[in-house]
Amino acid sequence: MTTPLIGVSKSLLKIKELINHVANTCLNVLITGETGVGKEVVAQNLYEESPRTEHNFVKINCAALPETLLESELYGYEKGAFTGAHKKRPGKFQSAHKGVLFLDEIGDMPLSLQSKMLHVLQSGEFSPLGSDQDFKTDVWVIAATNHDLEKRIKQKQFREDLFYRLNIIKIDIPPLRERTEDIPLLVEYYFKLYKSEYPNNPGSKPDEDTMVRLCNYPWPGNVRQLQNCIKKQMVINSWDKVFDEMPAEDSHAIVPDISAHDSVKKGETRNLHPDFANDRISLISEFVDLSTSSEKLLQEISLKKIKKKASDRVEKEVITFVLEKVGWNRSRAAKILKVSYKTLLYKMSEFDINPPSK
Amino acid sequence: MADPIRLLIVDDNEDILSTFSEFFNSMGYNVKTAVDGFVALKLLREKAHDFDCLITDLVMPNISGVGLISIVKKEYPDLKIIAMTGYGDQPGALASEARADVVLFKPVDLFKIEEKIIALLDVSNLKKHE
Ligand SMILES: Nc1ncnc2c1ncn2[C@@H]1O[C@H](COP(=O)(O)OP(=O)(O)OP(=O)(O)O)[C@@H](O)[C@H]1O
Ligand SMILES: [Mg+2]
Repeated sequence: MTTPLIGVSKSLLKIKELINHVANTCLNVLITGETGVGKEVVAQNLYEESPRTEHNFVKINCAALPETLLESELYGYEKGAFTGAHKKRPGKFQSAHKGVLFLDEIGDMPLSLQSKMLHVLQSGEFSPLGSDQDFKTDVWVIAATNHDLEKRIKQKQFREDLFYRLNIIKIDIPPLRERTEDIPLLVEYYFKLYKSEYPNNPGSKPDEDTMVRLCNYPWPGNVRQLQNCIKKQMVINSWDKVFDEMPAEDSHAIVPDISAHDSVKKGETRNLHPDFANDRISLISEFVDLSTSSEKLLQEISLKKIKKKASDRVEKEVITFVLEKVGWNRSRAAKILKVSYKTLLYKMSEFDINPPSK
Repeated sequence: MADPIRLLIVDDNEDILSTFSEFFNSMGYNVKTAVDGFVALKLLREKAHDFDCLITDLVMPNISGVGLISIVKKEYPDLKIIAMTGYGDQPGALASEARADVVLFKPVDLFKIEEKIIALLDVSNLKKHE
């Protein structure tokens, strides 16, 4: 069964409306969004509302297969096309004939196959490996990716011409944290669904406070992560425990800030060189004295020692960062960092972290 | 005087939209605008307005200009289409493939677009009267 698109946020309603308007066009679609936002659900809903439901919805994951296998999966092969091809096998383009071909993770398709894909989309024809016969394709191509394809084009990892050919209709699904209105409905829907599948599970619906917490969490894994939390809750029946086991609530807020913040402000050794080699050296130089002779250097390097130094360094920065954010309120900082108050005080003295003197 | 020519102008750049809109209004056209192909398609499908000519940008979110052109050619075959692109050759080539009547490269001269509109609509009027 196709999963319905649950949600009432403005962006989701717009997506539903867009699906409605384009499901009968058969124009190439590109669906983008972070992992777990519902790209596949959108693809299925497009198919479900199209006039193609008599035929197949065929999915292929372009990231999961090695290049040669991906090629033979897509286009099929003749008997004897390569060693191991004992008999003829149709590809996904054939199985999807008159239906939908869902190219999942298109951003990970190897460049050589991108050229072939472009050619097939341009000409509307393909031939199976080892065959000299051309087949006409009538498939509706829907592609999805969680990569920023424009960035991959700049890095020469994705063909610009293929991008434009796929990007005729673009459906961008925002991350869940940007449409928190959808969270209560999703919780409701999946709670009911799992309860009906496992009626004997003890789980209980979130109360109001828990719902607020659920809505405030940044959901890096989006709807899929939310589903997993609900499933877990239904087994252990404790929302508190579920929260304890989730990746830090503030990870999203903290991570992007920290590089801009600290390395610049503290004027410390770290130079952010544009290229990786330099970046690596400058990073290592923070923990190892690179100016000594190479022999001495090799004696100096010990993974264990460096690990300790590096983790201390990061801990110090993170603790300082959080303390600054909360105006040096140590008990709040301890809560955010999920350590005891005592641990925080200990670490502050170990790393010599002090509030700015006024 | 004849009824004014009705234009639907589509571009995700608001500055371009307002410049175009002002220009064609001042030239006596009847102008409606849309910020992407999806908004334009809804305007067309609502049937509240009829248009003589569609002028559309190509690279836009939701429904691209190329998508809009393909749909319009099927559903509103009489509507004349002028495509404009500022993104190198590929979108332009796709617009031609989707059978836009004219493809122009940005920056485009507004007077030149006007010429194209006149030419496109005159030709179709002649055909109608034949
Ligand atoms: N709006 C929604 N309503 C109901 N279920 C949803 C919605 N969005 C996502 N889901 C569910 O969340 C899970 C993840 O969605 P899906 O597999 O479509 O994500 P995705 O964007 O394809 O992720 P990935 O990039 O990891 O492949 C699925 O079980 C899907 O049914
Ligand atoms: Mg997916």
